[in-house]
Amino acid sequence: MAELINDAAVLREEEPAPSQMPPEAPEGERAAQKPESLWKDMWYSLTQNKPAMVSLVVISLLVIIAIVTAIAPQVLPCDPYQQDLSQSFEGPSAEHWFGTDQQGRDIFSRILIGSQISLTVGLLSVAISLTIGVALGAIAGYKGGIVDTIIMRFMDMMLAIPSILLAIAFMAALGRGIDKAIIAIGFVSIPEYARIVRSQILAVKQTDYVAAARVIGDSDATIIFRHVLPNVLPSIIVRATLGISGAILDAAALGFLGLGVQPPAAEWGDMLGRGRNYIFRAPHAMIFPGLAITITVLAFNLLGDGIRDAFDPKARKR
Amino acid sequence: MLKYIIKRILLAIPVLLGVSILVFLIMRVFSADPAPVVLGQHATAEAMEAWRDANGLNDPIIVQYFDFLTGALTGDLGESYYTHTPVIQELMSRFPATVELALVAIVIATVVGIVLGVVSAVHKNTFIDGVSMIFALIGVSMPIFWSGILLIILFAGVLHVLPSSGRIDPLLAPVGGTGLYLIDTLLSGDFEAFSDALSHIILPALALSLYSMAVITRMTRSSMLDTLNEDYVRTARAKGLRRGRVNRHHALRNAMLPITTVIGLQLGGLLGGAMLTETVFAWPGIGKYVVDCILKSDFPVVQGAVLLIGVIFIIVNLVVDVIYAYLDPRIKYSQEEG
Amino acid sequence: MSIKEMSRRRFIEAMGAVSVIGATGLAGCGSQRAGGSGSASASGEIADTITFAQGADPRGLDPAYVDDGESAKVMSNIYDTVLKFDVETTEVLPSLGEMPDISDDGLTYTFKIREGVKFHDGTDCDANAIVTSITRQLEPNRTEDMPYASFVFGSESTNSGIASIEAPDATTLVITLRAPSTPFIRNMAMTLAAPIVAPSAIEAGDSNENPIGSGPYKFVSWTKGDSIVLEANEDYWDEEHKSQTKNAVFRIIAENSSRVTALNNGEVDMIDGIDASVVDTITGAGNELFEEDGMNINYMAFRNDSGVFADLEARRAFCQAVNVEEMVQSLYGDYAGVANSVMPLWMAPYDEDIQQTAYDPEAAQAKFAELGITSCTMLTYTNVRPYNSIGGQPLAEAIQGYLREVGVEMEIVSYDWTTYQTKVETDAFDCCLYGWVGDNGDPDNFMNLLADENVSMNVGRYRNDEYNALIQQGLTTPDGDDRDAIYKQCEQMVADEMPWMLISHSKNLAAYAPSINNFYYHPTGVVHLELITKTA
Repeated sequence: MAELINDAAVLREEEPAPSQMPPEAPEGERAAQKPESLWKDMWYSLTQNKPAMVSLVVISLLVIIAIVTAIAPQVLPCDPYQQDLSQSFEGPSAEHWFGTDQQGRDIFSRILIGSQISLTVGLLSVAISLTIGVALGAIAGYKGGIVDTIIMRFMDMMLAIPSILLAIAFMAALGRGIDKAIIAIGFVSIPEYARIVRSQILAVKQTDYVAAARVIGDSDATIIFRHVLPNVLPSIIVRATLGISGAILDAAALGFLGLGVQPPAAEWGDMLGRGRNYIFRAPHAMIFPGLAITITVLAFNLLGDGIRDAFDPKARKR
Repeated sequence: MLKYIIKRILLAIPVLLGVSILVFLIMRVFSADPAPVVLGQHATAEAMEAWRDANGLNDPIIVQYFDFLTGALTGDLGESYYTHTPVIQELMSRFPATVELALVAIVIATVVGIVLGVVSAVHKNTFIDGVSMIFALIGVSMPIFWSGILLIILFAGVLHVLPSSGRIDPLLAPVGGTGLYLIDTLLSGDFEAFSDALSHIILPALALSLYSMAVITRMTRSSMLDTLNEDYVRTARAKGLRRGRVNRHHALRNAMLPITTVIGLQLGGLLGGAMLTETVFAWPGIGKYVVDCILKSDFPVVQGAVLLIGVIFIIVNLVVDVIYAYLDPRIKYSQEEG
Repeated sequence: MSIKEMSRRRFIEAMGAVSVIGATGLAGCGSQRAGGSGSASASGEIADTITFAQGADPRGLDPAYVDDGESAKVMSNIYDTVLKFDVETTEVLPSLGEMPDISDDGLTYTFKIREGVKFHDGTDCDANAIVTSITRQLEPNRTEDMPYASFVFGSESTNSGIASIEAPDATTLVITLRAPSTPFIRNMAMTLAAPIVAPSAIEAGDSNENPIGSGPYKFVSWTKGDSIVLEANEDYWDEEHKSQTKNAVFRIIAENSSRVTALNNGEVDMIDGIDASVVDTITGAGNELFEEDGMNINYMAFRNDSGVFADLEARRAFCQAVNVEEMVQSLYGDYAGVANSVMPLWMAPYDEDIQQTAYDPEAAQAKFAELGITSCTMLTYTNVRPYNSIGGQPLAEAIQGYLREVGVEMEIVSYDWTTYQTKVETDAFDCCLYGWVGDNGDPDNFMNLLADENVSMNVGRYRNDEYNALIQQGLTTPDGDDRDAIYKQCEQMVADEMPWMLISHSKNLAAYAPSINNFYYHPTGVVHLELITKTA
């Protein structure tokens, strides 16, 4: 099924990505010749995309919140771990903007500090799947033959199990904790990257400059890292940005099923899952974490779309 | 064509074998010992040891795997540790519920997604386009379990117009048949049961479809935009064909190619989403059950279920590819994998 | 709350029920309700179907193979027992058998078995059938997957329980015990292991899926994860307990809030497994709340044999650190009482003078500092349990919050209940949350937990020879003041030694639609649907 699923995996990006360009795609050549201008063009085009810029601002804010609350938690309006059972499930008020949870903890502070976990899981798990996926995809695509077959069959295998099911099985086996969630989520998205990179490499491999590099005796590694990977970078960046939003959603799903973090850590999906049992008594305990997840994921999706459009001159014209 | 299909089926076998090994390893090597779970809190250490012996859990892992494999090949997936019921029976009693939910969800997602996508593409950069794109973006960004709860609060908690849980009034449930209640009740002409089943499936199917709906909307839009710019569409328009006819007959038909693939992929993905949707809506399907069994270390059930889901996923992909091949005559069946 | 107060409340509740039902025959003061027959007919037509929603599928429907409350609720409507509990209490009454003649040495029990009782498939439910149903659970027939068999029927290794069982004729059942046992008579009324299964179903080998009993309801179908359908047994032998409702349906709805939504949305008639947070939502929607003291204890066990809490001083400091009263009030509202003793308030040998360690955070902080304890690990479960309506997680976190105040960081490790039961046996921990629901109303059923060799029962690994001797003595002492004194002594030892930190006794909470009559949730956690009717 390889050839068609490859297309399919690419199509998962919902719109024609640069990867679908024929091998002689203009930006492939352009990138090889003057990479700076590609990035400049892309950045310029991105700045013209209002939703993407708004998302960038939102994400930057989130990053700042996560870093500041990590370095100086005292800036938070309340101690996110301070329980006060006499204040259980208070509604939103001037003192507690988003109300309190069952333990009487301030939900606003917990959502702010929860950005640390969501961003960490999002970034690190994508880093894992990206590193392993790109490596496997590059090897498979470049080497071809039996190596390719083995790697890609393994990827097919992983794709044949819904990733959330696989992640749940991992978490059940490994136990709870952010570190384990990162590994589980990172592991299950490896095939997506491997497939994209492999199909890109297959395309780029045929181009003249790679042939030229081979003629002048560059080693395989040099060719992959110096000539091939830079050309697949745009689609990887797009995929990774969208991957972060997927990872945040997956982490929230694990948290929701009670497989996420250790208490008293604040994680949005976990907060939502607890709040679910009190939707009548305290709807705020479920609504605000849900909003936090949705807004964050939306921001990464919009940014990912924006970057893709910025890399893709065809889409840019639309 | 037949040769192509046979080749694809043969290629799926090693993938399935791999899936079975992967799941087997995760469950057996890392998971908790099921003996105390199975035998309950009054069991003695000897009883547990005897049980492990009887269930082959003390055998070398390779032997255990081959036991499982030979069983699976003969249609015997073992018994649930927890209920002592054959796994096949456990899975088959729940599987139709998940299939029905996924099918209804994909129908909703496809119909709404394609309509929204086409409308957006034809009215590119208008207000309608903007609204449906925002909808699509929110659709892919909302956690499925959250949108499910919000739907329950609105339609069952506040408006009281739709049931919040279950598949059908148990006393109206059709016996035998396909197990797909909507079809069974329709075939038997029991419209009371049909409308009851329909009212139960609307909310979970809607919640489950949101993500796919959004993806299909976006895919349809961009795919339509591509084909609308193709020469033959321009030619058709230049020839004076009416716009609506051009859109339907020329543009959409060709745009369907990538859309089909996405729909197929979404159908596979729905099985994952079903796990969360079924949890929220107390839907008696396979998804929620598998999650529970993973947590209970009910090895035979999890192995059987994942194998089943893997088979379904591979079949769905196969069907999609065959449809794709049918739609796009450029694909050569004999083509080497590339 | 004193016993007297409780009786008064129960009386008021009963009077409330009278006004709803519009029937007479309730004597108040916790006495038995009027039988099901006729009580609802005064107020009009009776609906054909009643629906009860619970949180999980039964594990199975053969009482020999299950150990969970969700199974018990369904089974109690399908099967009869040799003896049975009264409708509202754990007083033992005749059922399939008369009250037994007990020999002077306390070893031989002779039951007269009712004539003419039939199983749902038409086969005879006589003394021979009872022997078949029980013998399969005795050694050497007993298999490992019969979780309650050794508990209810004893075993050779502990020299307890049934030595032999026989039916000299169809109406006589003779059971000989290995050693005298005061709780035995109650065991014969339990909903696990003790109910009588038709030999025909046992032979067929699918009694877990297709149960055949002799009870007021017949099994019809079971859609896993969704529902179980029962229909009235038209030929039920006990006229007073013959159901007037044609169909009884159990719906499986896992989430607490979903069950509440289903009740308020009119999808189901009765639900259980609710907690304080949804009470207003339920009553606000016009539904009725059932609350009654439950036969349970919600506790935190220290690891008594190793680790930081092997030291009594450390255990005391922990108990001083936690404001149990505030915690119970905040988490459970009015629907659980602070536990001052292992056994719930209303069970016989309760001693009001016993006091648990008082809240004193300063003393705790000083003691922890002196002992150099700054961290500990707690294991907990994620699920809701009958003795803990909010689930293990929020309770653990509340305790974590109190310890944080006195300078101890507590790590919480939590698992799904079924996995959790394994983990408390295999994993290292300093303390863990646990609980117990009484099976038969006997004090031994509670107090024995701290003497049990089995780690899964005695999770804190408490071992005290003096305590164990008391338990042995209690087992063979007949009911009465002497026996009560023994268990009071046990209670005092628990208060002094603190092998557990006692938390609460939960009320049994359930809710039902206003059209439902005669709802009662038995202290053992089952619901006898045959007495319940729904006004159409």
